[in-house]
Amino acid sequence: MFRNITIGQYVPGDSAIHKLDPRVKIIITFIFIIAIFFINKFSGYIFAMLYLWLVIRISKIPFSYVLKGLRPVIVILLLTVSLNMFFTPGGTVLYTLGPLKITSAGLKFAVFMGLRLIFLIIGTSLLTLTTSPISLTDGIEHILKPFSKIGVPAHELAMMMTIALRFIPTLIEEAEKIMKAQMARGADFESGNIVNRARGLVPLLVPLFISAFRRADELAIAMESRCYRGGHNRTRMKKLEVHTRDYAALFITGVIVVLIVWNRSWAW
Amino acid sequence: MAFIIRAQNVSFCYSEGESKSPPVLKDINLQFEKGEFIGIIGHNGSGKSTLAKHFNALLLPTKGNVYVKDMDTKDAKHLWDIRQTAGLVFQNPDNQIVAAIVEEDVAFGPENLGIPPEEIRKRVEYALKAVGMWEYKDFPPHMLSGGQKQRVAIAGIIAMKPECIVLDEPTAMLDPIGRREVISTIKKLNKEEGITVILITHFMEEVVDADRVIVMDDGKVVLDGTPKEVFKEVEVLKKIGLDVPQVTELAHQLRKEGIDIPSDILTIEEMVEFICR
Repeated sequence: MFRNITIGQYVPGDSAIHKLDPRVKIIITFIFIIAIFFINKFSGYIFAMLYLWLVIRISKIPFSYVLKGLRPVIVILLLTVSLNMFFTPGGTVLYTLGPLKITSAGLKFAVFMGLRLIFLIIGTSLLTLTTSPISLTDGIEHILKPFSKIGVPAHELAMMMTIALRFIPTLIEEAEKIMKAQMARGADFESGNIVNRARGLVPLLVPLFISAFRRADELAIAMESRCYRGGHNRTRMKKLEVHTRDYAALFITGVIVVLIVWNRSWAW
Repeated sequence: MAFIIRAQNVSFCYSEGESKSPPVLKDINLQFEKGEFIGIIGHNGSGKSTLAKHFNALLLPTKGNVYVKDMDTKDAKHLWDIRQTAGLVFQNPDNQIVAAIVEEDVAFGPENLGIPPEEIRKRVEYALKAVGMWEYKDFPPHMLSGGQKQRVAIAGIIAMKPECIVLDEPTAMLDPIGRREVISTIKKLNKEEGITVILITHFMEEVVDADRVIVMDDGKVVLDGTPKEVFKEVEVLKKIGLDVPQVTELAHQLRKEGIDIPSDILTIEEMVEFICR
């Protein structure tokens, strides 16, 4: 039941995109998200599309994987599109359905918002598809480090993410073991309606939680005896280094951003 | 000879004051020499794990003092030096591995000590090679067997360059193969790297070739000596609920039946040699 759960959606590979410094990738993703919101006409999306197409081609990630990222947000996507379609005033009325009217302005705006969302999601999932959770954690820690002076717990956040990544498979294994043990004693996890099934999970979750707390306790002692005393005075084995390809990636992103901003003043 | 760890009149209770709990350790006096391989045995609740936690200042004695290389564990300013000098390996390998990649976990200790990155790399390589896990450096820990995980945990301690490793029942949760892997790793570290080893266990076979065996019962040291001296006391060991190695037990039984056989036979080889003489 739990076997097919993977952490994140990382697709291992050794393309130029995979090898980019995680910090650079995170920053580029942010720049891209902001740039998307600058687009004010359809032609602007051509540049964004071109950019995404280029990234997907270089990263050698199958297109179907990229689209899979859209699946969990499909409801939100449909809701946004239809709300905008029906409730944007102005323009000529194209179609009437009872009290609902579809106007030309509404249709345009709805498609616009839909595209914006799709590009946003594809852009961010390209980050998680090409970056392992571990280097993502490293990247986040390094980016947040300058902010630790104003109280952002950069090291603590990264440490929590690392431990979570480390223990997810262990806890999944444990959940399976508990489930088998409870099933051997007649527990039923698979039949009945939703309420019954949810109730059936209690004998799984209670022991799992207790064991997780016990593990946390032991881990804390083990960390202390390995001289852990928070982020202060701590060094890292892996140093992040910015290479030529990182500058190249930043440059290409910059070009696209300039084009998108310039596009705002175009006539079409 | 310099003592790596000294315990002087150590007593310990988990809680003091109003709800005073019975003492877990009672007036313990021990001294460990550098480079020794020491086995501590005792059944559950004999206080051996509590004693282990005193050796790197996770617990502080209620009465008496523990010194690690002449540093008092009660002195807070030596805390990190003490923990770096005496590393502690725990029973459950899963609950002491911090990072999601083997080499990063081994780097965790040195990173905490603030060692420069190049030096950490060297130490990680040295530590993983010392426990024979270098080929697994890029593995996630959950893909390893119990014995392999425990060896990674040991590497994580070795990377801090301790002079002494205290292992608190490191084989209790392992299968026989994993147990053999871990024990031979520990013995190798003691012989080749000269690291003092304090092995806490309830498997007698694991301490048969130790330099010194200490038997604990009810918070006190009952027997202390070479394995031959200790395992000779079959009756004492039985009285406190411990088993002796099977061969020793056999020799003991034979002696009882009036056969002239030394009482300090510990291994099958010794037994074979004696019988064939």
